[in-house]
Amino acid sequence: MNNLPVLSYLDEFRASGPAGRLLDRLHRRPERPVRIMEVCGTHTMAISRHGIRQASPAWLRLISGPGCPVCVTSNYDIDSFIEMSLLPGVIAASFGDMLKVPGTRMGLGGARARGARVEIVYSTLDALRLARENPDCKVIFFGVGFETTAPTVAAAIAAARQSGASNFFVYSAHKLVPPALSALCRMPGLAVDAFLCPGHVSAIIGADPYRPLAERGIPCVISGFETVDILQSLNMILDQLDSGDCRVEVEYARGVRPGGNPAALEMMNSVFAPCDAGWRGLGTIPASGLTIREEFAAHDAARVFAVDASYSREPAGCICGAILTGQKIPPDCRRFARTCTPDHPVGPCMVSSEGTCAAYYQYEFQD
Amino acid sequence: MCLAVPAKIIETDGQQAIVEIGGLRKQASIVLLPEAVTGDYVLLHAGFAISMIDKKEALETLLLFEELAPPGGRPGLSGPGPEDGDLGLKETPAADDE
Amino acid sequence: MTHDTETVQMAHGSGGRLGRELVESVFSSALANNILNRLDDAACLEVQGRLAFTIDGHVVSPLFFPGGDIGRLSVTGTVNDLAVMGATPLYIALGVVIEEGLPLHTLKLITESMRATAGEAKVEVVTGDTKVVERGAADGVFITTSGIGLIPEGVSPSGRGARPGDAVILSGTLGDHGVAILSCRQGLEFDSMLKSDCAPLNSLVREMLAASVRVHAMRDPTRGGLAAALNEIAAASGVAIEIEEETLPVKPSVRAACELFGLDPLLLANEGKLVAFVPEDDAGSVLAAMRSHPLGAEAAIIGRVVDPAAGAGFSGPFRVFARTVLGGLRIIRMPVGEQLPRIC
Ligand code: SF4
Repeated sequence: MNNLPVLSYLDEFRASGPAGRLLDRLHRRPERPVRIMEVCGTHTMAISRHGIRQASPAWLRLISGPGCPVCVTSNYDIDSFIEMSLLPGVIAASFGDMLKVPGTRMGLGGARARGARVEIVYSTLDALRLARENPDCKVIFFGVGFETTAPTVAAAIAAARQSGASNFFVYSAHKLVPPALSALCRMPGLAVDAFLCPGHVSAIIGADPYRPLAERGIPCVISGFETVDILQSLNMILDQLDSGDCRVEVEYARGVRPGGNPAALEMMNSVFAPCDAGWRGLGTIPASGLTIREEFAAHDAARVFAVDASYSREPAGCICGAILTGQKIPPDCRRFARTCTPDHPVGPCMVSSEGTCAAYYQYEFQD
Repeated sequence: MCLAVPAKIIETDGQQAIVEIGGLRKQASIVLLPEAVTGDYVLLHAGFAISMIDKKEALETLLLFEELAPPGGRPGLSGPGPEDGDLGLKETPAADDE
Repeated sequence: MTHDTETVQMAHGSGGRLGRELVESVFSSALANNILNRLDDAACLEVQGRLAFTIDGHVVSPLFFPGGDIGRLSVTGTVNDLAVMGATPLYIALGVVIEEGLPLHTLKLITESMRATAGEAKVEVVTGDTKVVERGAADGVFITTSGIGLIPEGVSPSGRGARPGDAVILSGTLGDHGVAILSCRQGLEFDSMLKSDCAPLNSLVREMLAASVRVHAMRDPTRGGLAAALNEIAAASGVAIEIEEETLPVKPSVRAACELFGLDPLLLANEGKLVAFVPEDDAGSVLAAMRSHPLGAEAAIIGRVVDPAAGAGFSGPFRVFARTVLGGLRIIRMPVGEQLPRIC
């Protein structure tokens, strides 16, 4: 018999009572400058939307890192995919996040206006279904996202090979989080005291990959996404800083096993191999991306479709790079809210709903 | 970075499952979480179950919040759950596992 | 008789016999009334008093969705635009653009739905026009409706009427229509019992105005959702609005869809809801009147109008705020473009 209460795992974590108390705890702590970087777009959003930054003590700086997969995708990858979408007989399938992101010449939305067939999907399996339903077309899926998403894309590629869906392709621009955090830590002039680590990436990779960071004296707390989760995680980080004992801790224990999800990791590693990848803002980081393995080359859009995106440039005057590395905040950008708004975005950080500029603009910006 | 929501597995058929989120049902794949069975709560991301939700851990986290935040503010756990009206958290501590 | 009676043909738009047949067999038979039956070039109406006059174009994919269809939508859209001005909707004019190849049966279902909805709203379709365009030039059928309504003496809600101190009342749950449409979009399908809220609101408005003629402003939060409606009213009235996010009525399945696809209920479309700005003293009686009407059973006070000068520490062009769980305020902006489902 199960006499545990029934939970929805959502509503219970949204109660406002504990949030106020957890916030009080933050405010009762000794004042000293602390910079905590969140590396997850969903955390960025939650912090802005629920007013966590506004409510936190002034000495606590919450800065955003390279946590929005759309934002860290380089213009070269975006332009390459857009060129592919314009090829005859191609259906370009993408998560909705990508549609409004401007490339060098146009965004996917612009490509659609020029006649490209662009389909928004919720799951890679929907993209695979598109391929089955349109045997005369070539369906190319834009693989963006971190370790959370990469296994789902790997599963679709594996299923495509198994079912002989030879008209299904993936353009892989996947990125890996731990190598980027290590690269960040090596950047000169970067002052980050601790990382608020991404809950859903960690559901796949577990806690171990952050250990090298903790060994360098940087507390890492894997956090859930509700206001109470984030406030609790901030307290856990500050407890670590107070005690000087830096570790990897899991606040989001309901969703994250210390060893991650082995089946998902296996799926990811069987289809993809690590490769050097270009990150917007961070440049090229060794072994921080995922390329499709030789075995699955027939489904690799980068190998199958020759396109020229050598014209690619990053948008002029956009400091997305410095923002994605926590060195600047959106109001530091002279285009922010002036020539760059969600209606007329210049950089991806203003487009993606998880982008730091968009989150600031949407919920926090005041003249 | 990656949106995932708690979902309950209603039925499975090989690698496919039907999951429920707040009364809404959707097809999902459990290929990345082969141990998932009917009745489990999982995190659903882009149509895939990616992780089990651990009930005991969830309750411990909630209890911790309660401890750190004793009653006084708005009651945290008295809202209706999806299936029953009373979570009864305090009456049935997490230690009393099934 | 060689023509194909099953689908709409280009010839149906020719103005010849087929065109006449289409109008008579589909439209005038279903929507029949004394004025329409004359099939004159214009309807002659006798109306006295202050008129409200509006027009609205309707495109929706799919044409039939849980809880409604484009026919019902095209009537409620115009009826509701009139109703939120306090007007009693009277007459509707209809413009239909049909894509060649549309099954006649589909067109009849849509027209039948218009008839039923017009009956429900007690309005008459008094004049109309149909055009047929080549396949691919339209998506099934596009319907434009225009309507006129009579504004009773002493009633004057307007988008510019909200005043500091007003209670903000929402007539029911947010986002039902938006999520119902989403649930049938290819690639996003899910099952829920959820139906579009698509309904004519004029009888609800009548009850509200019977409770208080001092309703300052009303709007139906369709495209752009409540966020857009509040921003429009705040800007037009020169006031600020503060809402309590926790009091917003949202169905669990709508909330679930929002979690799943990364959407915001404040931005989702509604087709049978209104938001009203009522002086605090009258808020109780208006709310009670709404709750006793089936379309307002879940009505709730969701916030209040404040003086923009006292705008809680926010300056600049922002006028709509929500109180967060931590007690702070966040900005609710005018939405930008279409809300897309997101994953990451
Ligand atoms: S405000 Fe616009 S231009 Fe400036 S960094 Fe952000 S996205 Fe780039």
